[in-house]
Amino acid sequence: MTASQDIYPQTETLARDVDQLERSWRHPRGVFGWLSYTTHQAIGTRYIVTAFIMLLAGGIEALMMRTQLMHSNNGYLGPERYNQMFTTHGTTMMFLFAVPMMEGMAIYLVPLMCGTRNVAFPRLNAFGYWMYLFGVLFLYWGVFTNAAPDVGWFAYPPLSGPQFTPGKSTDYWAQMITFTEVSALCVAAEIIATILKMRAPGMSLNRMPLYVWSLLIQSWMIIFAMPAIVVASSYLLSDRTVATHFVNPAEGGDPLLYQHIFWFFGHPEVYIIFIPALGFVSAIVVAHSGRELVGYTAMVLAQIANGFIAFGLWVHHMFATDLPQIGEAYFTASSMMIAITSGVQIFCWIATLWSGRLRLTTALHFVYGFIAIFVLGGLTGVVLASVPLDLQVHDTYFVVAHFHYVLIGGAVFPLFGAFYHWFPKFTGRLMNETLGRVNFWVLFVGFNLVFFPMHILGLKGMPRRIYTYSPEMGWDHLNLVATIGAWVIAIGGVLFMVNFLWSRKNGQLAGNNPWDADSLEWAAASPPANYNFEYLPAATSRYPLWVAREDRAVVTGTRNERREVLVTTLMDAKPHHRYVLPGPSIWPLIAAICVTTGFAGSVFNAWYITWGTIISGLALVGWFWPKRPLEPADD
Amino acid sequence: MTEVRTIDVSGLKPYDISSQAPLWWGQFMIVFIEGTMFGILIAAYFYVRLRMDVWPPPGDQFPHRTLPTLELIPLILSCVGSYWASEAAKKNDRAGMIGGMALNVVLAGIALWMRIVEWHSLNFNWMTDAHGSYVWAFLGLHTFDYIGDLAFTAVLLLLVLIGRYGPKQRLGVHVDSIVWYFLVAIWIPIYVVIYWGPVIVRTQQ
Amino acid sequence: MMQRAKWARAFAIASSLVLTSCIYNRQSAVDPAGPQAGRVDTLWWSFFWLLGAIFLIVMILTVMTLGRRHRGFEQEPLAIRHKASDETESQLRRVVTGATIATIVILFVLIVASVGTGKANSELQQKKNPLTIQVTGTQWWWQIQYMNSDPTQNLTTANEIHIPVGRPVQIRGASNDVIHSFWVPNLNGKRDLIPSRITSEWIEADHPGEFRGQCAEFCGLQHAHMAIWVIAEPQAQFDAWMKAQLQPAAAPQTPAQIRGQQVFLNNACMYCHAIQGTPAVGQNGPDLTHFGSRRGIAANTVPNTMGNLAGWILDPQSMKPGNHMATVEVSSTDLQPLVEYLESLK
Repeated sequence: MTASQDIYPQTETLARDVDQLERSWRHPRGVFGWLSYTTHQAIGTRYIVTAFIMLLAGGIEALMMRTQLMHSNNGYLGPERYNQMFTTHGTTMMFLFAVPMMEGMAIYLVPLMCGTRNVAFPRLNAFGYWMYLFGVLFLYWGVFTNAAPDVGWFAYPPLSGPQFTPGKSTDYWAQMITFTEVSALCVAAEIIATILKMRAPGMSLNRMPLYVWSLLIQSWMIIFAMPAIVVASSYLLSDRTVATHFVNPAEGGDPLLYQHIFWFFGHPEVYIIFIPALGFVSAIVVAHSGRELVGYTAMVLAQIANGFIAFGLWVHHMFATDLPQIGEAYFTASSMMIAITSGVQIFCWIATLWSGRLRLTTALHFVYGFIAIFVLGGLTGVVLASVPLDLQVHDTYFVVAHFHYVLIGGAVFPLFGAFYHWFPKFTGRLMNETLGRVNFWVLFVGFNLVFFPMHILGLKGMPRRIYTYSPEMGWDHLNLVATIGAWVIAIGGVLFMVNFLWSRKNGQLAGNNPWDADSLEWAAASPPANYNFEYLPAATSRYPLWVAREDRAVVTGTRNERREVLVTTLMDAKPHHRYVLPGPSIWPLIAAICVTTGFAGSVFNAWYITWGTIISGLALVGWFWPKRPLEPADD
Repeated sequence: MTEVRTIDVSGLKPYDISSQAPLWWGQFMIVFIEGTMFGILIAAYFYVRLRMDVWPPPGDQFPHRTLPTLELIPLILSCVGSYWASEAAKKNDRAGMIGGMALNVVLAGIALWMRIVEWHSLNFNWMTDAHGSYVWAFLGLHTFDYIGDLAFTAVLLLLVLIGRYGPKQRLGVHVDSIVWYFLVAIWIPIYVVIYWGPVIVRTQQ
Repeated sequence: MMQRAKWARAFAIASSLVLTSCIYNRQSAVDPAGPQAGRVDTLWWSFFWLLGAIFLIVMILTVMTLGRRHRGFEQEPLAIRHKASDETESQLRRVVTGATIATIVILFVLIVASVGTGKANSELQQKKNPLTIQVTGTQWWWQIQYMNSDPTQNLTTANEIHIPVGRPVQIRGASNDVIHSFWVPNLNGKRDLIPSRITSEWIEADHPGEFRGQCAEFCGLQHAHMAIWVIAEPQAQFDAWMKAQLQPAAAPQTPAQIRGQQVFLNNACMYCHAIQGTPAVGQNGPDLTHFGSRRGIAANTVPNTMGNLAGWILDPQSMKPGNHMATVEVSSTDLQPLVEYLESLK
């Protein structure tokens, strides 16, 4: 773990500075210590590992579904079990894999790319992770105690209401949402604060890497979208547990209100998943084509526009509910217009690849895969935006095909590209390129085998969420192809894990910057020390490491015997003041346990809200109780 | 080895009590999150109203308006205390912080008591019908946040009183006011919806 | 128990095999049988070819980016400046701008086409002399009510709709429990059936035929087995069908049928099912007055044959696990007469 020698001054203070940093940023020991970590690399890694396990769980659920649908009148899963499978598959993938995985990568990469040592609120970071983990455990406790939710990942009432789905399963679902949304909101708040206030000196807003832009936009979207799902799921949960009448038609509640509120969150949610993936693509394209991005300003504006417009589309999920025509026309227009903002970005990437010096690494393979799959998914999205067409293909396998194309193509392929691209930074070794290419092709072929036939199945009348179908429908052959594809994807997943595990031990040593990439994370060691950089770097260009050595700069003068970082101004990132970050702490875990007691208990007995609030309040007092020294030393 | 240019920041302060601090942004995130939630609740109230023929539903009283309107007075005045403490925190003025926070806590407490009295007198609860569910949702969520911020301010007041505070805690006092201003400001439209809503959007006879 | 289930399932499979004369293959949006579905089909193919061409162009360009790396394209400036010459940069920007403008124009055209198709379809409602049918979704079958200004002409039936060719039909959608969705793709898109609301959709067949539809909003355990038939027939045939349906149930003729009616009325059946002209007036389940004339059992889960009906009555849970029909104890001597009676209700 040595510093990159070509960027740091070889002064006599380097050794002393590094020694101080090592000590002030050292991880505490033992199990208690491990539970108290607040460094962003550790918390980010925890998110990534947990989310990956959720990807595997969701994948297994999908395999079971596909096995049941392999041929008509199959008896592998009965209706109860099948309905639970598709619900937990969707729920796991959307809430427990996709968003947390993007958050985890952001937590790891954003401080590095911004040239700082940690996120703005390290203990909140840890708290957010624990809440996510407890949400996972809460839902899967339900799954493994025969109370798996079975009403679909969006749980429309009245089906999900107390009258038609009694028991605890939907309650587990609704409260799990609260856990994961609290977690996502914590991460969003700290990412925004980090990006806006802790960037490297000189990294003005128009010099930020596109990945950082994507996280800034995504985090603001989370702030405005997540409250909606908290409201919707709380309405449902309280209708189920304490007999309120928010969305239950019995006494004036309205099931369509639930749909409006849910999709007001639900549509931005898919962009929340997808926009950071676009950030990955930009980072990979720039690094592996060796050139600056064509149309940086256009890309930034397009992503910002994407973020805004995404909030104006939600009714396209409800075209079948007999809306006024003027509303339909508006939402058709906005849903189609968002293709423009995505299109601009695709054109800019193609232009960049066109004129670059390509290194056809596995990461770049995944970018090409992304372009192919996502563009097709986007085009079927244009079909769905058209009301007359949507009314035929809504709630059929055509829609299933569409959203898997845009989510897997648009988010998961860039994610795998990101794994291959940043694995050397996270671990110090390169992943095996040959196995990587095989991995890519298996996933690409498998994916298309599963989901392309579904377009046809939808046009042939196969609705969603059916546990079986009869042979006269003529859907057997395509379903069999899709199931075979699912197993091919499974093989692809296994290949990835094999490559990962093998490369950790045997991969070629990477050094700091094996790709000769441009952004600041490649100036840190591979893997980074807890403090990331011996000296905080300055950013003298949009592509900081592509600048000649004599034009680079670093920050000196921070006190390294404590965890200190630099706060800079919002627009131009001029140094403003120094900021002392907290060290390791057990309070985030204690607070998370208290809040979990309240959330989990309230599903069984509403009084837990009161008890949970009281103990959480006490935990917060412990968390924020002033520690000595009260005044930071400053001489 | 090439010497790299250095930017020396040792002259900068190791803390800052102003809107430049990251925590200031953190507090604003809370404002946006809670604000969005209340915005959705308000929109939902009117959506449900549009679907009902009779509003408020038969049997639900029109909420009394006197006490909640009077409640606005200590509530808005409590912001003065908040502002006083927030400015005093910037200047490290201990007496100002104590005075401001104490004023805030006392006035907020009076307003809270008035709210609870009125809330207690409603003849419907969350189970009665949709109108009841929505009114109780507003009251419940807002009062929960209210009590939370009140407790937070009370703890800060305690810390300053016993002298266990430094720049970090002063920053806390300074940014605490942001959440309080928000809670008071968001109460105005909620108050209008709960207490005047049934009058404004009542069924025409 | 297991024996009956196996027997029931064997009968069902056997009948299905007999009926694989592909009539079920028609549940398709790209096989239109009416003006609304026809317009949507045209719109679909326009989108398909246009967007397909765009996809092809974008893919060709993407693959072409791979070719350039061998051409030593402007290597020198790239290696130093990490970008191409100024001229190339401005060329690239111009191409991106052009592509963006093309995208905006194409999308605008598609918006106009979509809104236009939607409007044209809704204008079909203005035609005179519509037929009004209320479809009420229930877990997991369809209640059908033909509405007429003359109440003696109101007809209640289940799971099968007949319509006259060439006449617009308004489907008023309602639901007794959860959200369902009425969808007959050969005729038009889908419309959700939402409790506490009435939704509305218009269908029209332009030639005779049998069109299958299916519930398209997840509604619980047996969402997969909630299908509906729409039979379009010439006006004269439709009128004859309507006349027959408005009659009370056929009186049992043979001794077996008489016995069957007795079994029906002496068991729990009559508490859920109505047969006009008998004391059975139950509303919880489908109206059985003309059950014998229908094509399917249990919302068209299986074809309406004697064997399937026997299996269904003996053990409904084996064919449609979780459905709300009670399992009624019918002795083996009573089963055959009951089946014969029900099938006689043409």
